[in-house]
Amino acid sequence: MPRDPKYDILFEPIQIGPKTLKNRFYQVPHCIGAGSEKPGMQAYHRGMKAEGGWAACCTEYCSIHPESDDTSRVSARIWDEGDVRNLAAMCDRLHEFGALAGIELWYGGPHAPCMETRATPRGPSQVASDFELNIFPRYMDKDDIDTVQQMYVDAALRAREAGFDIIYVYGAHAYLPFQFLSPYYNRRSDEYGGSFENRARFWRESLIKVREAVGDDCAIASRFAVDHLLGPASIEVGEDGVRFVEHCDDVVDLWDFTVGDIAEWGQNAGPSRFFEENHEAPYTKQVKLGNHTNKPVVGVGRITNPDTMVAIIKSGQYDIIGAARPSISDPFLPQKIDEGRLDDIRECIGCNQCISRWEIGGPPMVCTQNATAGEEYRRGWHPEKFHPAANREKGVLVIGAGPAGMECAMVLGKRDFSAVHLVEGSQEIGGCVNWISKLGHSDGKENLFRGSARGLGEWQRIVNYRQIQLGKLKNVEVHLGSSLSVEQVLEYGAEIVIVATGCHFATDGLNAATHAPIEGADATLDWQLTPDEVVAGAKAIGKRVLVLENEAYFMGVSVAQKLAGEGHEVHIVTQAADIAKYMDYTLEAPMLHRDLHRLGVKVHPQTMLEKIEPGVCHAYNIWDPSHKDRFEVDSVVLCTARISDDQIYRELKSDRARLEAEGIEAVYVIGDAAAPRMIVDSIFDGHRLAREIDSPHPEMPLPFIRERRLWGNSGNGDYRAQLLNTADVAVV
Amino acid sequence: MKIVVAVKSVAALDDEFELSSDASAVDPDYLEWDLNEWDGFSLEAALELREAAGEGEVVALTVGAQDAEEALLNCLAKGADRGVRIWDDALEGADPLAVATVLAAAVEREAPDLVLCGVQSSDAVNGATGIALAGLLDLAHVAVVRSLDYDPATATATVERELEGGLVELLSVRLPALLTIQTGINQPRYATLRAIKQAREKPLAVEDLAALGLSEADLATAAGSRRRALAIPDRGDGAEMLGGSVEQMAERIAELVKERTG
Repeated sequence: MPRDPKYDILFEPIQIGPKTLKNRFYQVPHCIGAGSEKPGMQAYHRGMKAEGGWAACCTEYCSIHPESDDTSRVSARIWDEGDVRNLAAMCDRLHEFGALAGIELWYGGPHAPCMETRATPRGPSQVASDFELNIFPRYMDKDDIDTVQQMYVDAALRAREAGFDIIYVYGAHAYLPFQFLSPYYNRRSDEYGGSFENRARFWRESLIKVREAVGDDCAIASRFAVDHLLGPASIEVGEDGVRFVEHCDDVVDLWDFTVGDIAEWGQNAGPSRFFEENHEAPYTKQVKLGNHTNKPVVGVGRITNPDTMVAIIKSGQYDIIGAARPSISDPFLPQKIDEGRLDDIRECIGCNQCISRWEIGGPPMVCTQNATAGEEYRRGWHPEKFHPAANREKGVLVIGAGPAGMECAMVLGKRDFSAVHLVEGSQEIGGCVNWISKLGHSDGKENLFRGSARGLGEWQRIVNYRQIQLGKLKNVEVHLGSSLSVEQVLEYGAEIVIVATGCHFATDGLNAATHAPIEGADATLDWQLTPDEVVAGAKAIGKRVLVLENEAYFMGVSVAQKLAGEGHEVHIVTQAADIAKYMDYTLEAPMLHRDLHRLGVKVHPQTMLEKIEPGVCHAYNIWDPSHKDRFEVDSVVLCTARISDDQIYRELKSDRARLEAEGIEAVYVIGDAAAPRMIVDSIFDGHRLAREIDSPHPEMPLPFIRERRLWGNSGNGDYRAQLLNTADVAVV
Repeated sequence: MKIVVAVKSVAALDDEFELSSDASAVDPDYLEWDLNEWDGFSLEAALELREAAGEGEVVALTVGAQDAEEALLNCLAKGADRGVRIWDDALEGADPLAVATVLAAAVEREAPDLVLCGVQSSDAVNGATGIALAGLLDLAHVAVVRSLDYDPATATATVERELEGGLVELLSVRLPALLTIQTGINQPRYATLRAIKQAREKPLAVEDLAALGLSEADLATAAGSRRRALAIPDRGDGAEMLGGSVEQMAERIAELVKERTG
């Protein structure tokens, strides 16, 4: 299908310094867990987006020197020739697809604890990091300033050698150049501190030096947080923000704007629970619309909708659409817009699972919507290409149309199976996502420090995308409202049966903290509920509610948000040090805490229930069980253990003779039905099985390439040899 | 009890399509074929009647070219006992009266107790074939049936007809009869993989006009209309999107209002 002319503007080239971007789709710097030490992952993840039409793809933050070391978080590095060689792989791959390669030169100062290198970071003043634990920088005198600026220059020279087209001096997220600019960090009284010009001096000088070194060949970019969101204590867009842009406009080829910093990064990488699409606009748009720059501007805001992209450019907010998460969710977003295939776009849901892996420090990225993110090299998976399965003539029955079942059926369909039946007991496709997306609360008011409570509605895109794709697959039939018995499964006529029947919440208070039920816990009673029952609405919920939160992610707190938003008095009890630990990693925690405070929710950490009675819950402090507490409540929500609904799988497996007689060759179990897990992992589980359904033992994941040092001499071929022969590996 | 269900394989259009060179039809390359949505409900009604009776035969009958075989197999997979497909090149572009004439010949041969049709097809949307068939067979008939209760003792069907404005007409009709069935009357079953495989072993007869004792001339006499041409209507220009600052947009709106109102 041809491109809709209204999107033509997104495909107009634009000049940035000596380089040309072929269109307005720009993958801004973002973490993936690859760095310079997993060059295959780096090159193939970025390359996938270039193949999908992005005009430029950038590295994550790239350390210019061992003094800028964020271990265990994974940054890229450009310290030496080895790094040049490894990052050149990324540049080559991007250039193959006609995209520009960008590198974000980073010096973290006190935000980088140097746990691997044991070096001492330098900073403008001895102000400890507000992000890391107890890390102070060494004060930079003039010699130190020259030394560090030379690090930028040397790094830029290495970057050019590697083949990068766009070279950033990176100050956003409150890294070193921003630390000089902002009085929040800079207490100096020399020519690098005090007045605006003094504070801007380090950054401007660094830009000039980098420009002198490589500016003829490369576009010089700068990532700048136009507003630190700390008011007059730091940079405000209307004051030093636009002033800085004007001050350095002549030495920059491309501006890349953000807001906020790394300490509360969730204000920039805003989760959909609290921030809408294009949420940075009120700040970042002031630069161009106020005529403070003559240079091209790229910016972000979890922009997923092509019409929003057009409006952003036409309104003069940005010239170039920046994206991190939308490019992870769909590397082929530009191509799909170009080909008029809007309903094939896999929209980011703003869950920040991708970011959570970087925050944890170490693991490779993941993506709820795109199970191939991070797997492009190590498993050879391509989000848009699927090799026909060797056993595709077999009929497949997938039982359960939740995240795992939908994903598995979809990939099997794309692998040309002759007949896939996805059968769901309820009247709706989507499984647990249908009720989870109704959690949280939304009140439409921006009264939560720049954001607002929006609920989890965008998570429903998990279902929207798969429903559309399944509808397009002629070889996949979706049957709703059909709860199959074991007998019906046995007689279905499928050679391959995949059980994806999900899980349920324990009703007796069984929990991960004590591994035991709780006396008096019984969610079959009408005044005790499991989280799904809260959404289902069949049980009346009294005014005062206690939510027992033992699962450390969003479930308990989202129930609390929903009930408090509806006017209940809510207590959350958790045995953990704090509620919803995983939401620290998804950057949702600060806004969650603001919301819970605003809603008057009472949080009781390090507390466990020992007995539940009508009207009162008996609790104790986990460090001193003799320290008791009572909560007088009307209803109790038990957000504790989940238990797989795998009965049908067990029954099928129990009678091998019968399976054989009915022609069933294999029975698999995936998703929550195998083991309760996060949605991102259920979708991955379903995806992996479908990709490897024609391998010798599909229930066991095939080996993937581990990018590690092999003793002795080794080439790329040695790494690839680690992969067994698998039918569905893209040509790497 | 024998029930004949007259079904149609209907064409679904892609977003993009072209017409044939003589503009008489959509270019078949852009068509996808499926069992008519209404016929899923009428087939289900027939299967439920057979199950309630504990015996009987359900025959799926269609007028259609090779493309239509899939829809017939679909009916067999769901539980029809036998399928009959009638085709002749002369049937290309046949209107409801011509199709009804062919169906009438086949139904007469079957001599069923009940004939079920869908209210309409989703592609041609004439809503005429079922009732025309009843007329040609001189059968008692009820159109737009949304509920069906059959009493074998009296061979009488009590049916509800759907009227406008939420009104419902209650009728009883003695078999043999023809009913046109409305969507939503039941929950159509689907076919398991085994049933789909086994459908290929059920009897499926393919016949031409001659087999039914009909000729091209009979069709020409029967036809009530002939499609002369199809055309794709022009699309409008679409909307003008206003952008820029609030002040800029307000200015443009004021401009437009002045332009349009003079």
